[in-house]
Amino acid sequence: MSALLVLLLVAPLGGALVLLLWPGRGMDRQVRTVGLAASGLALAVALLALTRRPWASRHAVLEVDVPWIPGLGARLHLVLDGISAPLVVLTAVLGLLVVVLVTCGPPSSALPVRSARGLVACLLAVEGGALAAFTAADLIVFFVAFEVVLVPMWAAIRWWGDPHDEPGRRDAATRFILFTAGGSVVLLLGLLLVASAAGTTDVVTLVARQGDGMGRTVQVAAAVLMLLGLAVKVPVWPLHTWLPAAHTAAPTAGSVLLAGVLLKLGSYGMVRFVVPVVPEGFAAVAPVLGALGVVGIFWAGLACLVERDLKRLVAFSSVAHMGFVALGIASGTPQGLQGALFANVAHGVITSLLFVVAGGLKDRSGDADLGVLLQRARGGLRDRSPRFGGMLVVGCIAGLGLPGLAGFWGEFLAVYGAWQADPVATGAPVAFWRALAALAVLGTVLAAAYLLRVLRLLWHGELEGAALSSGVLVGTGMGEQDGSSEQQHSLTQGRPHARPDTPDLEVLHLPPGPPAAGDVSPALLEAGARAALHLPRDVRHAVAVDTSPNETAVGLTLVVLSIVPGLLPWLLLATTEPAVLHLLAVDRGLV
Amino acid sequence: MIGAELVRDGVQAIAWSALGPALAPAVAALVLLAVDAVVGPRRGGRWWRDGLALAGLVVGLLLVVPLRGGVAVTFCADATASSSGAAPTVGCGFVASPLTLALQVLILAAAAVCLLLAVGERAESPGLPWPPWPRTEHHLLLLAATAGACVLAGARDYATLAVAVETASLPVVGLVALRRDGRGVEAGLKLLLTAVLSFSLLVLGIALVYASTGSLHLGAPLDGTLPDVGLLHGVGVALAVAGIAFKLSLVPFHAWTPDTYAGAPVPIAAFLATVSKVAGLTAMVLVLAIGAPELADSWSVLAGALAAVTMTVGNLVALRQRSAVRLLAWSTVAQAGWVVLPLAGAVSPHRVAGAATASIGYLLAYVAATLTAFAVVVVVAQSHALGDRHGLDAYDGVLRSRPVLGCALGFALLCLAGLPPGVMGLVAKVVALAPVVAAHAWLLTSVAVLNVVLGVAVYLRWAVHLVAARPETTPAPSPDGGSVVRHRLGVPHAAALLVGAASCVVLSVLPALVANPLG
Repeated sequence: MSALLVLLLVAPLGGALVLLLWPGRGMDRQVRTVGLAASGLALAVALLALTRRPWASRHAVLEVDVPWIPGLGARLHLVLDGISAPLVVLTAVLGLLVVVLVTCGPPSSALPVRSARGLVACLLAVEGGALAAFTAADLIVFFVAFEVVLVPMWAAIRWWGDPHDEPGRRDAATRFILFTAGGSVVLLLGLLLVASAAGTTDVVTLVARQGDGMGRTVQVAAAVLMLLGLAVKVPVWPLHTWLPAAHTAAPTAGSVLLAGVLLKLGSYGMVRFVVPVVPEGFAAVAPVLGALGVVGIFWAGLACLVERDLKRLVAFSSVAHMGFVALGIASGTPQGLQGALFANVAHGVITSLLFVVAGGLKDRSGDADLGVLLQRARGGLRDRSPRFGGMLVVGCIAGLGLPGLAGFWGEFLAVYGAWQADPVATGAPVAFWRALAALAVLGTVLAAAYLLRVLRLLWHGELEGAALSSGVLVGTGMGEQDGSSEQQHSLTQGRPHARPDTPDLEVLHLPPGPPAAGDVSPALLEAGARAALHLPRDVRHAVAVDTSPNETAVGLTLVVLSIVPGLLPWLLLATTEPAVLHLLAVDRGLV
Repeated sequence: MIGAELVRDGVQAIAWSALGPALAPAVAALVLLAVDAVVGPRRGGRWWRDGLALAGLVVGLLLVVPLRGGVAVTFCADATASSSGAAPTVGCGFVASPLTLALQVLILAAAAVCLLLAVGERAESPGLPWPPWPRTEHHLLLLAATAGACVLAGARDYATLAVAVETASLPVVGLVALRRDGRGVEAGLKLLLTAVLSFSLLVLGIALVYASTGSLHLGAPLDGTLPDVGLLHGVGVALAVAGIAFKLSLVPFHAWTPDTYAGAPVPIAAFLATVSKVAGLTAMVLVLAIGAPELADSWSVLAGALAAVTMTVGNLVALRQRSAVRLLAWSTVAQAGWVVLPLAGAVSPHRVAGAATASIGYLLAYVAATLTAFAVVVVVAQSHALGDRHGLDAYDGVLRSRPVLGCALGFALLCLAGLPPGVMGLVAKVVALAPVVAAHAWLLTSVAVLNVVLGVAVYLRWAVHLVAARPETTPAPSPDGGSVVRHRLGVPHAAALLVGAASCVVLSVLPALVANPLG
């Protein structure tokens, strides 16, 4: 019975409970103290758990096993081994970072009326639930922990999300919870099927059995149900539709946790509960999973190429990254699985970094539309907000999979694993898997295209020269100028839900020169422009405010975490390797 | 084993201790009636009536304790069976088995909470313009219905079952009409007609079963000499189930539910939603699981169909409700579907016991959460201008203005939806789905998946009002010119709320009782 594991879970959940039940309004300082204490304690415990060297053996190094629901045969069984250790540390780090992001910053217009107390409670609850899910070694405990994160995340999106778009927030939150609740029930059906067929809910036993005693039909049915349920969380195309809306509406901290932690639950569930527990069933379904993953890579990549809203763009890039994870898991090879787990952690760090940047920019300008951000950052982030710009550069380059940064190894190993996939076990010919691998590699080209587009627009700043000095930035919606209708190549033309006329990058160029609108003063035009864009009143000056100290700290941490695994991949790979080999029964010579 | 001496001087001996939990409320009712006839309806000192009624229920709960760990029987037909060591449970009219005791505890506890809710109603509340509570009548009827339900839990022959079902149903008709206003009388009449119709179906079914087996005892073997005896038996069981389905508000026997809940006083609606439902499920389990286990492969299909339709219709209509009481009424319809769902997993005789246990486990979670929700509705109705016709927007901002109520209601709604932190509801859903998945009933499980999503939508729709910003309106003045005063939570209401919320929280942390209520 490991006190460390218990403390790991009690710290964030207890912190959330304390914040919820705190009498009175709760001053900001108290919220900050409790939040930092809870998440800091969780991180300290997670790092302390690393000293037990989970990479040294294929079994668990920390364990808790007490009876809980005898009627269902469920025990409160928690373990920490090589597969869960990296995710536990990632969750603990991100938990502390989001609390710092929310509580340690200057008062921001993004949290207008509601106090941060509820938001920090929700974030801590999500962190606690995710930690419980990553350490769960019992099917029912995993399911309960899987569900714990739903309501706090829903609340964070619904009440602390985008302050300018209340119907959008409501819709995104509703869609999030209904989709993921439905997926969870389907997952539950699969888990119950396994439990009834195998007679036990203990995962350690089930992994040791490797599906013995369960007929092929039962295995395939269980695999289909569990994968369907988990695919909503991963997300695998076409069950990804809840994600872009949720990210757009969520607050920055919520987006970071959603992308960095919640999405990992799905792929972790696949690796831990499907691959070793129903291996025959999984192998039968793996080709479909791999194909859907690759479709997701392309679908998301193409959507990103024309996406206007920065947060939606990063959300779609999440879908693309998780496509690689799905492909790696589907391959069923040790390299593929290791790649998937690596990509999990890498995606968590990289996408969190991108969301910190996107969220920070959106909070300052009230809109995440690339055009609006571009307008605010005249001259590009490189000149106006170098810290944001630097974070954006690292995030984008890591995201497109440049070797030397974290994103590369996950994608590489996933593709390598797919190339090596066993045709006999999976029932699909070698050509199929190799075709998937080739397509996935093409997908990285798409990733490069859309991420470099973002860099070009925001970091370099597409606007140059004379068009800026005329003061004309937009041309739509202003009745008094005749010539404005010609300036339809305006930045506001493509709102997030509409496609621009051409998906060409040139659409974002402004027509050079002063307007043909006669003697309308630039100030009036600019006022009209601001009104047309619904910009907040404090966006007067063209100089974008750079990161605040807490954002710098958070961003710097994430930048370091994006670089280190890229340069030293063995840190992660050696940790997960023994456990992965045990899962695939390679070390017992069965595979 | 209690009940060993079955015959003494030619007269059947009764094991009173086995009947204790059912007798306590009945005795309390009679004592109440007698003393009230002597003392008269004085305004002062009215707490003795409430205390006596509550004491009857609490004594019943205490009398369950010595019966635990064994099986007590009484009213047995076979006098010589006691000489052997085995328990002669077939052939005995009343059996106090773990199943019986679990159900009796649930019934008595739920009835006690409903009593507390009714006792705390103030006569001068703005939402209650009718005369003060006729307390003696209310307590008498409530105790009588509770006694009937407790007897039903132990009934093991059809005669006792039929009498107990009626004893549990008819007093509730009086309770519903207790306010003596138009709505109450209409609701009472609907309930009376429904009760009579359901009883007639039940008795017809029992008659056919008796014709096919020749004995009134549950689980008696079929008479092989009759032609088509299997068909006779099956039709009898089906008719009996149809009669019981009225009590459980299963679709299509649910039409009485929304109007009756809306017309009755809210504490009585709570009684209908909890004790009557427990009685209904008890009767269902008795007729199906104990009375006809060998027909399990047929009635499980029937139960599955009923459950699927009930859940879906209940959730879909609940999504449209704007009144709090009506939403709860339709929610109880949908939850009744969930309660019956595990019985669809009893596809063979050896799975019947597990399915019945799962049903009772879900019932426990449902009763705890629904009682808490009704308790909050009662408190809010007391200080709202519209009384119990208040809509969901009466709860705007309750989490901030009245945090105890808001937290209790929020937790209860999450339990009903099956989302953490309402872990009790989540485990209940797992418990309900497990037998169905084990039976590979995939069509039914897909309907259940749909209904989980619908249920989340139904309950979260209400829960968001708890956190919504409170509209800045002045409170409506009461008829006598003064403004509405927000009452402090009275002791009975606070006690009821405490019991409900505490049971939800305890069962969320330690859900073992939900998975195995007979333990």
